[in-house]
Amino acid sequence: MKTLTTPRPPAAAAPAPVTPRRRRRPARRAAVWILVGPYTVFLVVFGLAPAGYALWTSFVDNGSFTGGHDWVTVLEDYRLGDAAANVATYLLLWLPILLLTVLSLAFTLHARPGRTTSALQLVYYLPGAVTGSAAALLWLFMVSPDSSPFSPLLKLLDVHSATEALSGGSVIAVLTVMGVAVHAGGWIVVLYGALNALPKDVLEAAQVDGASAWRTMWHIKLPMVRTYVAFVLISSFASGSQVFVEPSVLSTGAPGQISPTWSVNQLAYTYATQDGDFGKAAALSLAMLAVGVLAAWIVITRTRMYATDSSDSR
Amino acid sequence: MKRWRVASLATTAAAALVLSGCGGTGGGAGGGSGGGKGELLVWVDNTRMPAAQQYKKAHPDLKLRIVTIPPDAGYVPTKISLANRTKSGWPDVVFLANPAEAATLASEKFGYAAPLDDRVPQSVRDGFTPGALDTCTFGGKTYCLRNDIAPTVLWYDATLMKRYGYQVPKTWAEYQRTGLKAADEHPGTIVGAVNGKYGAGIYFGSSGCATRDTLSLTEVHIDLGQANCTRVADLLQPLARKKAVTTVVPIDPGFAKFGKGDKILMLPAPAWFGDFMFGPAFKVPGGRIAAAPMPTWPGESKPYAGQVGGGAFLVSTHAGERTKDAADLVRWMTTDVSLQAKQPTYPAFTAAAQKWGEAKSKDPYYASDPMPALIAAADALRPGFGAVRFEADWQSSFNDTLVKAVDSGGNLRNALASWQDKLEAAAKTTGYTVG
Repeated sequence: MKTLTTPRPPAAAAPAPVTPRRRRRPARRAAVWILVGPYTVFLVVFGLAPAGYALWTSFVDNGSFTGGHDWVTVLEDYRLGDAAANVATYLLLWLPILLLTVLSLAFTLHARPGRTTSALQLVYYLPGAVTGSAAALLWLFMVSPDSSPFSPLLKLLDVHSATEALSGGSVIAVLTVMGVAVHAGGWIVVLYGALNALPKDVLEAAQVDGASAWRTMWHIKLPMVRTYVAFVLISSFASGSQVFVEPSVLSTGAPGQISPTWSVNQLAYTYATQDGDFGKAAALSLAMLAVGVLAAWIVITRTRMYATDSSDSR
Repeated sequence: MKRWRVASLATTAAAALVLSGCGGTGGGAGGGSGGGKGELLVWVDNTRMPAAQQYKKAHPDLKLRIVTIPPDAGYVPTKISLANRTKSGWPDVVFLANPAEAATLASEKFGYAAPLDDRVPQSVRDGFTPGALDTCTFGGKTYCLRNDIAPTVLWYDATLMKRYGYQVPKTWAEYQRTGLKAADEHPGTIVGAVNGKYGAGIYFGSSGCATRDTLSLTEVHIDLGQANCTRVADLLQPLARKKAVTTVVPIDPGFAKFGKGDKILMLPAPAWFGDFMFGPAFKVPGGRIAAAPMPTWPGESKPYAGQVGGGAFLVSTHAGERTKDAADLVRWMTTDVSLQAKQPTYPAFTAAAQKWGEAKSKDPYYASDPMPALIAAADALRPGFGAVRFEADWQSSFNDTLVKAVDSGGNLRNALASWQDKLEAAAKTTGYTVG
């Protein structure tokens, strides 16, 4: 940024080559504003302002200061421990499986490009396209051994009905499968795009040097797309720790089987919508935001995500 | 310089878009602001839509707007909570597909449901099935009118009963004996389902076990140590061991395998199972299913019924000058005999239920006329089964404790103790003192 704004000596203003450069300077500045402006607006309107409002809501009720009462009640709520444990287990199962699925499928697609590649991308993407009550029904039937295409597998796992699949500890497995199926498709498309943008000469050089497909993937492609992988991790951690849609959808299909406060986000939602308590909902949402920000900070600093090519001289 | 202007224009436009988008959704949540210039705003589910339109046609002078809402649990409290936040958008009349939500909507925090004692005459309220309005009553005030009720009866397969040479049980002891015998002689046969509201509402509801005995909007009585709770555990314990009761929830598509395989000998279940579950969902052929009153508990002669389902109408405290019209609409929707006689489920209004039963008696699907049993059940609603704000937790905690014990062969009496703890915790977090 600084180099752009440094004034140039007038001597450098040679007519032909420099005129376009000088014109480009305000133009580039404008471009920066155009690119950053809308983001800033959205960040303020949909990010900072709501967070600030939530902070206000969690401390002030009807104009009077509640002194952190909502925060204390939320942290003491017996449902929070269960919900946090559920979400932690879910993340432990779901994140590695999701990441492995996305990486392996994207690398396979890239290693064997062909006519089927785009068709397959669409197939991977499809489960995420079914939402709402249609998804509830779809998944209810998926876990019903009598109607599911996976019934042999379900029977192998000793699951004889949807009720069994959705009760007790097995619900976490169903949610993991659901979460991977719904989210993997989008990330495969992103990662495949990143792989396609890798410089061809590097890959060719690896090939000339006799690197196997496996070595190329492990030592060339993976390091080059690591920022994308980090991005997948951050976004998935954020969406996974706020898991809401999957358990809600499943409980629409099978009411009473899954607690309405199964996940932390569902608990926050319950505070606001069923208890009419926006203060507690705001407090819990902010606590979750803090967890997400902390995780993002760790991943960004550990993967040097924002290191650019010039500064990244390893 | 030109690009600068373009950039700032674009940013301004984006900001304007965002801001207008924000403002737009604020007021219009759930289909408009209630009470726009004397307009009566009514929220009903799809099933109640034709009736609401019929009322509109009959009252051409009345400005009436009808909005369809989904019957999902929690939907109405969610919308009302948002309306409370924005202080606009309340419907004047709302239909509850989950009447327990009346406890939420009438609570001080929501302040949405208006008491109807002064709006609907006592004579009209007396016309409802005795006990039907208990769900709507908190601290002596009636906050809603029931549209339909879902008393439980003992559904059974008359053909199987005859084939196996069994008698329809009159007491729960006979029920248990028949169930154990059937499990021995005809493995795989079930005589009941224990899961969620279908276990808690049917067995514990009919026994009068105080799992959700509402004393007022802020007090609830929960005591699972009493004999009317432990006797249910003792009833189910051997049946669970022999797998004569299933923990598959009846709305699970997998439940159909019991029906298709001639495995449902008996099923204590709500009235609406007759029309909506046995044929369409469980695929039991016509001419086999019949209804008997619920078995009686020791020392009682009345076949007390539990409840699973039913709907209710309530009127908004924000209706203002439209309150009279709103109350009239609610009164008509719930008590008009010719209208109620055509509705799909058992009417809460006694006169309408009789008329409704005339068609049901002739229904060729049933092996015999189910109406005597249904009427007996409606007349014997077990008192004390109130609307509570922890309805969802009531179900999931039942599954976490008793159903888990049934599945794993655990001790049901011990499970009652942990259910008690969970119910108390749920009641306290939703603002009740537990007595």
